[in-house]
Amino acid sequence: MFKRSRKAADFAEEIKAHLELEVDEWKREGLSEEEARRRARVEFGNIHAAQERFYLRNRFVWLDDRVRDIKFALRQLSKAPGFTVAAVLTLALGIGANTAIFSLVNTLLLKPLPVPDPKQITTLALRENKGTVQVGISWNEYKQIREESGRSFSDVFATAINIDGLAVPGQQPDRIMTMYVSGNLFDGLGLKPAAGRLFLRSEAEVPGHDPVIVLGYDYWKQKFHSDPNVVGRPVTLDGHPVTIVGVAPKGFRGMLGYLTMSAYLPLSELPLAGTPVDAMNDWKNRTLVVNARLRPGVGLKQANATLNMAAQELTRLHPDIEKKLTLEAYPEAQLRINPGDPNAVFVFVGLFMSLAVMVLLLACVNVANLVLVRATAREREMSVRTALGASRSRLIAQMITESVTLALIGGAMGVVLGVGATSALGHIDLHADLPLSFSFGFDWRIFFYSFAIALVAGIVVSIAPALHTARANVSTVLHQGGRGAIAGRHWLRDGLVALQIAGSLVLLVVAALFVRSLSAIEAMDFGFKPDHVTNFTLDAHEIGMADTAVRDLAANITARLQQLAGVEHVSHASTVPFSYVGNAGDSLIIDGVPSPPNPTDTGAGYNVVSPEYFRVMGIDLIAGRAFTDADNEHGKDVAVVSESAARKFWPHQDPVGRVFRMAGEKDRKLEVVGIARDVEFQLIQGGKSQPFFYIPYAQHAKGNTMMVFQIRSDTDLPALAPMVEKAIHTLAPQLPVFQVQTMRQALYTMNGLLLFQIGASLAAIMGGLGLTLAVIGLYGVVSYAVGRRVHEIGLRMALGASRASVFRMIYRQSVMIVAAGLAAGLAMALLVARAVGSMVVVSVWDPATYLFVATILALAALASCYLPARRAMAVEPMVALRED
Amino acid sequence: MTTQKNATDRIALLQGTLDLLILKTLLLGPCHGQGVARSIQRQSEEVFFVDHGSLYLALQRLEDKKWISARWGLSENNRKARFYSLTAKGREQLAEKTSEWQRLTRAMELILGSNTGATAEEV
Repeated sequence: MFKRSRKAADFAEEIKAHLELEVDEWKREGLSEEEARRRARVEFGNIHAAQERFYLRNRFVWLDDRVRDIKFALRQLSKAPGFTVAAVLTLALGIGANTAIFSLVNTLLLKPLPVPDPKQITTLALRENKGTVQVGISWNEYKQIREESGRSFSDVFATAINIDGLAVPGQQPDRIMTMYVSGNLFDGLGLKPAAGRLFLRSEAEVPGHDPVIVLGYDYWKQKFHSDPNVVGRPVTLDGHPVTIVGVAPKGFRGMLGYLTMSAYLPLSELPLAGTPVDAMNDWKNRTLVVNARLRPGVGLKQANATLNMAAQELTRLHPDIEKKLTLEAYPEAQLRINPGDPNAVFVFVGLFMSLAVMVLLLACVNVANLVLVRATAREREMSVRTALGASRSRLIAQMITESVTLALIGGAMGVVLGVGATSALGHIDLHADLPLSFSFGFDWRIFFYSFAIALVAGIVVSIAPALHTARANVSTVLHQGGRGAIAGRHWLRDGLVALQIAGSLVLLVVAALFVRSLSAIEAMDFGFKPDHVTNFTLDAHEIGMADTAVRDLAANITARLQQLAGVEHVSHASTVPFSYVGNAGDSLIIDGVPSPPNPTDTGAGYNVVSPEYFRVMGIDLIAGRAFTDADNEHGKDVAVVSESAARKFWPHQDPVGRVFRMAGEKDRKLEVVGIARDVEFQLIQGGKSQPFFYIPYAQHAKGNTMMVFQIRSDTDLPALAPMVEKAIHTLAPQLPVFQVQTMRQALYTMNGLLLFQIGASLAAIMGGLGLTLAVIGLYGVVSYAVGRRVHEIGLRMALGASRASVFRMIYRQSVMIVAAGLAAGLAMALLVARAVGSMVVVSVWDPATYLFVATILALAALASCYLPARRAMAVEPMVALRED
Repeated sequence: MTTQKNATDRIALLQGTLDLLILKTLLLGPCHGQGVARSIQRQSEEVFFVDHGSLYLALQRLEDKKWISARWGLSENNRKARFYSLTAKGREQLAEKTSEWQRLTRAMELILGSNTGATAEEV
């Protein structure tokens, strides 16, 4: 404070002086000295209390006023339960929507790893030839980088995520998410075991060594009931014996934070998961994610300088592999989501955050209107209080307190709603052929965010009524009797409702664009026919089977399923379109064509399929032939390529009969025997135009133990599934069958339609909320207006106005508000549509969308005025006039 | 003589009213706290009872708002006392509060004065 504060001693002095003066006075009136002193003290009352109040004055008056205001606000609110419930619920919806969206953002982008000094954790990414940022790094590269970068990093970790079958001996295996980690991970992160021990720095260095496993805390709790005696117990992983040595600490879910790992193994055990040792040692096998902990005081700039030197050293040692390599460290949170295009994530997140904020804004406007109505009704109370000496700023402070109190109550409910919604979202069916477990936990960030928006909402809500109060004139109001309202001020409420209609139009347009986008995609030609196909996934590796045994089993299963009633064709493949796993790719070496400098230029995805695959999936061949049973290990190596691959690798030529090799298997020549139609494989990344090829499973059984079986049949899933499982278990009793679903269902993955579906649902929910709020808002204002105008309407009728003209009068006013709102909304929607453009597959300028949405909104809005207009029409002039 | 009325006949002062009364008292010239208290009590024919603790806090509040100013001086009987006087801003406030108060009382009279209210004239 700048004000020179008066000392408490000075105040005490003043009181003393007062007592002396009083004593003099009493003595003058004839009392004895003693009696006068007694009298003076008694008259003064509690001197200490006065001094204390003086002392507290500067310190706590502000707080004291707030506490009093809050108590007063609560009392006022409890006196108007209808208003309070409506306002709280409205705000809870708005704040809940925001909390839900924010907790997603929090988990995906903000929340640090639950380790000491999480800010030091970085993710390393490499770039070749100044290409895109990629996080994959090979084991040898990792070891080299670790060697070279000790100056900036205290530890460099490598991890790989896998799915394995973990079994207690004698039981069917659990299919779990596992993380293969370098031995320094737990120690370097600073984690302590919940039981037993974590990995040693010396572990995970030599392939095939250290058959030990650390359980994830949640999995330990769920599967082993937190039994500390699991330490030392033997289990099998994909059929191989490993020993449980410990349990990871509570809260640590792996390096991704939101995806929970069930167990951890040393990287050296990757061969268990099917990675051959020579593949592990391949410099170009860039499948590990490398994280590093910065040394204290080291910034990213210095770290990147160190990494740059490490990259140069790599290039010097292996000039043939490490071409124009650069290495960079990013804060761990920045690369949490598939970094292919980090900006796409921000745009998506930004859009839905704005939609949520918009819903909140509409909720605020609604509540502001309610508060405004109340403020008008309370004008008299406010005026009396002003007249009695309450300052205007005090009254406004009180109104703000009331609104903020309201918003905080709404906020508390909103948080409950929002957290409920996100936990529902955490259990959303991602149609993943993975044992995924997401966690969108509640933390202080979410609390803080929700609290902050509730506070802001409270203040926003109170602006209009506060302005209103500030302008209220004591004498006018007091002279007006019970009426209060001053006609000229309706523009404020009308304006707010028009704003609401505008906002909800924007939300509805966005919703319509997303919904139309989803249905356009659902109706799209994917290049295959997803209907009447049932999928299920098997991985014989999980029961310890390998190569030829798996191949024989697959053949037996195919034959057995083929005999089931109603089954047309049966096939299997290493992956299916839009799947999360089995998405393999390699670069091609085409004989007679020099390989381009950038290996990605010859890259193509591939699928390892059985002969019937094309028939089951309904993929047409436009030239040559599909695979046959003769394309086995004894036959010539063959392949079928996609149209795009044909065009790209053999331009203006007929590829059938040509030969190519895969970079990973340079000694095998594959002859192209057919060209298949392009198939939409990964909707988000690239799509149909990406080159693709197929190779027969019988020639590539090695390592491809996980397979998706597909059945084309008219029998629907519920009838087919038990028959399938029974057939498989007669052949392999222990083999788990996963992800039994129709191919249509399998389309809804993050690589396929799921993102569009989530987008459409979220946008539709927001749009629905917006519409509801706008309709309620308009209804409220019109009913209120009618309520206040009963007298006037009565008068008009008494003077000869017909009921129909009264009805029209009310509607005329509503139409004006709605029209203004729609006009403003259309302008805003066109601006927003531009931003949405990159996220939808339909044209954002299609006038039909706008017309449709505007019509719906206008009809809903006008319908909401019907009841109040009817009420106005029903006014009895005699009654209305007599009431005053 | 002290003609203290029965405590039940006294009216506790509302905050805004006390401020107004202090300003009004100081309009007559600078005065110390005890003098203001006596003056209010006397002028209201002992109806208002001024709680001295509240009075001094009110004085402090008005001083903080720069409606009155204070300095130490000597009373007529040579006692040290803190004298308060009205500032220009205080004068303005007094005028405004007084007219507000008059409007309020007039309105109250209008309402309380008319017995039924059914025929209350509306302006």
